[in-house]
Amino acid sequence: MTRVIGVGSPFGADRLAWLAVDHLSTLQLADCELIKLDRPGSQLLNHFHDGSKVILIDAVALDETPGGVSLLALADLQRISTSTSSHGFGVAQTLALGAELGQMPPDFYLVGIHTGMALSELPSLDVNALEHLVLPLI
Amino acid sequence: MTATRDIHIHVPVLTRVEGEGALELDVVNGEIERLNLRIFEPPRLFEKFVEGYECDQVIDMVARICGICPVAYQMSAVQAFERLFGFEPPDWLVAMRRVMYCGEWLQSHALHIHLLAAPDFLGFESAIAMARDYPDAVRRGLNLQTLGNDLIALFGGRSVHPVGVRVGGFYRAPREEDVAPVLQRLRDALPATEALVNWTAGLEFPQDEQAFISVALSHPKEYAIGQGNLISGQGLETDISFFDSFFQEHQSPHSTALHATLDGRPYLTGPLARLNLNFHQLPKPVRQVMEGCGIHFPSHNMFHSIVARAIELHFAVFEAIRLLENYEVPQASYTVVTPQEGNAFGCTEAPRGFLWHRYDVDEKGIVRYARIVPPTSQNQGRIEEDIRQSLEKMGLDSPDEAIRLRAEQVIRNYDPCISCATHFLKLKLNRR
Repeated sequence: MTRVIGVGSPFGADRLAWLAVDHLSTLQLADCELIKLDRPGSQLLNHFHDGSKVILIDAVALDETPGGVSLLALADLQRISTSTSSHGFGVAQTLALGAELGQMPPDFYLVGIHTGMALSELPSLDVNALEHLVLPLI
Repeated sequence: MTATRDIHIHVPVLTRVEGEGALELDVVNGEIERLNLRIFEPPRLFEKFVEGYECDQVIDMVARICGICPVAYQMSAVQAFERLFGFEPPDWLVAMRRVMYCGEWLQSHALHIHLLAAPDFLGFESAIAMARDYPDAVRRGLNLQTLGNDLIALFGGRSVHPVGVRVGGFYRAPREEDVAPVLQRLRDALPATEALVNWTAGLEFPQDEQAFISVALSHPKEYAIGQGNLISGQGLETDISFFDSFFQEHQSPHSTALHATLDGRPYLTGPLARLNLNFHQLPKPVRQVMEGCGIHFPSHNMFHSIVARAIELHFAVFEAIRLLENYEVPQASYTVVTPQEGNAFGCTEAPRGFLWHRYDVDEKGIVRYARIVPPTSQNQGRIEEDIRQSLEKMGLDSPDEAIRLRAEQVIRNYDPCISCATHFLKLKLNRR
């Protein structure tokens, strides 16, 4: 079973991962669980518990074509993330914590959707690029 | 004669606190000349946002002020409106709101103890680094946080920005079959929360007793969470509607959050203040755990805050079990309440201290004016006073890095939530 998790919020470009999950839900994918999470912080790790393959989709502030899609390495996320707060563990910190605790899924993919640099604007999601990248991973 | 050096330390971004802040410290001729906890997160203007909205809309709006303590915002708001409208919540509602609040204390305290404060005491720069040597402790924290979140979601539909609270009750009551598994998880977690008290009490604490004023809610029948009068360790006791008669808020140039004083003096609100003032009201089994942990309460050592949080976490689980053990779905989860014009006052104990609300409401139940006084803004003056005393006691001739670490640890003892208060640390230390 594959679990596709879109992490985001209702605001601006942070909605991109939710839109990606919404699009994937229209494709009637077999043996695939689709989940949208609103800024889960460290609670994201609760979705890594049963050994399922996990494809994690998150919006990333990259100065690439807005709405485009990239397969990222964990190291990329650490480089992109600049959060130094807080109560709120970001995705990068949570994945680092999961790795230290040995709670990462055996098969794990991190998909980033480019926000561009105007974070308050919601760019059009490149659904073709999304399907081209994600469907072979499922 | 001992040589002195002038120091200027600037911590430009405080970590493991919520929000944007910094610390600036100037030491001249061996004495602190300037110490500013700078809060530069922009004002969030929530009090203006809610003007023109109905009370029930405002209850959901103020939950958005904080992702960690939304229940506190909802409970202070709903209490304010119901007091104004002359609605006396029935016993079932009072109990279940207290359970929901226990969920928030549980998740917030678990997060702070394990992921934010414990790395300071154990010598790690972060919880991620701490997880290598203390994986079980970190997992315990995450599990307890999850349990608290699930308890909130039971009543609020979701744990972040829940939506279940309304004037007169809850939009819906949880089903008995949904309560039972959460109750069982609470029972299963209780031994771990007792062990947590002893784990925190076994940490190494600086000897740093300070004189300060504790302020908290107090209720004659219970360890106050969602109702009560405001009391202080110096003998204040007042109805919450007289807050302005005793407490003053003022602007400081270095902070976008208002400072607060009690009769002109900084004061402490939060778990240690609550425990100092109300520990005698803890249920006997919880009090026995507290008395057996090796740390004496009341305490005036702010480093004991982590133990106070652990005791309150243990209490929250104990209390939620007690209140849910005979859970029954009520005939109606809410009562329709007719709005009335007037000034509404609400005050409850958020995880990091008391949270005071005032709303001016018109005859249609529309909020025309709002004022919110969160715990972190109240604690700002006490934090600055504490850093000054703690650093002077440690010795201002200590290395810059040691000074920075101590200052950050002192700040984190308060679990500040700057996003709430602005409506926090980079350290800048100058020695001249």
